Amino acid sequence: MSKELEEEFVKQLDENQNIVHKICRLYTNDQHAHNDLFQEVTVQLWRAYPKFRGDAKFSTWMYRVALNTAITLYRKSTRRVKTQDYESVQFKIEDRQEEDEQMEQLTLLYGAVKQLNDIEKALVFLYLEDKNYREISETMGISEVNARVKMNRIKTKLTNIINP
Amino acid sequence: MDQLDILKQNWQSQTTDAPRFTKDQLGGLLAKRSSSIVKWLFIIAIIEFAFFIVLGMASHLHNQSSNIDVIGQMGNVFYYGSSLLHYVVIFIFIYLFYQNYKNISTSQPTRSLMDAILKTRRTMKWYIWYNLTYMMVVGMIATVIVIPQDPKIIELMASPKMAGHETAFYLIVLGASFVVFLIICVIMYLIYLLIYGILLRKLKRNYHELKRMEV
Repeated sequence: MSKELEEEFVKQLDENQNIVHKICRLYTNDQHAHNDLFQEVTVQLWRAYPKFRGDAKFSTWMYRVALNTAITLYRKSTRRVKTQDYESVQFKIEDRQEEDEQMEQLTLLYGAVKQLNDIEKALVFLYLEDKNYREISETMGISEVNARVKMNRIKTKLTNIINP
Repeated sequence: MDQLDILKQNWQSQTTDAPRFTKDQLGGLLAKRSSSIVKWLFIIAIIEFAFFIVLGMASHLHNQSSNIDVIGQMGNVFYYGSSLLHYVVIFIFIYLFYQNYKNISTSQPTRSLMDAILKTRRTMKWYIWYNLTYMMVVGMIATVIVIPQDPKIIELMASPKMAGHETAFYLIVLGASFVVFLIICVIMYLIYLLIYGILLRKLKRNYHELKRMEV
């Protein structure tokens, strides 16, 4: 593939790499696995890139490829599920002005999301990224109604995890 | 406001422990090899195609150099006809596999991606069953036609002890080859269960989870 195409791709990936980091953080539990998944997502994005060429927004297309890689193609993550370290569960935000109490709540919530299964995590991720139900249903390949119903169930499940 | 919305409000300002990659590092990642299940699916398929093609060729060479005139006994038309048919079918399988494999794209919705992968794996399952069935049918026919012509068997049959037991003898030979075939099938099935089980465990779990939503 040509040099220009590569430069163009790297530029867009660089601008959007935070999306991939967020997905990796959700699906892995340590730094090594995180980088491993990041690498696989990058490889898959690069492979699919020649067919992309602007029929959707780069980031929208990226959600799909990255989530598909995490849910379906990537194989190593399951091995590491049990070695969950504290750092990966703690939710971190940029400005530290938030009150401790709220930080604690956010960490608790994030920890609960991490306990969901792969599919539920994908739905929650898209929801947190402010995607509407149409986009969620198109990304996952399920109907909009089912996405909505599932999302409500996930919310109940999260409440149950937090307040057992 | 529900709890998920509290997380949503702060979601965009989250930071990760992972350092951001520089553009150079990202460029370097592009050259890395994939370790995805699709790659493994491809490698396993190549091994399967190669295995049965080599097995078929080895059996041809064996028949040609055999003491017994296997090809002559079975008849040229039947022998070469069935071999030709066999390779045509293998070629069709390679074509089907290639078509299915091409349809696996990470840009499609999760559900269709999973369908495409499972369809590719099903093609390979049918390929294995086809080969085993072919081996059994041809093997049985060869047993019935060739064994009675084997000089050692003729000698054995001529002995007084075997008088009146010819049919029973051939039935036992057929039965034994059928049992051997069954054992090969079971072993193949177990190897298959193991390889694809490990490879596709996560995919199947997530596929069922997606399907469960539709109920």
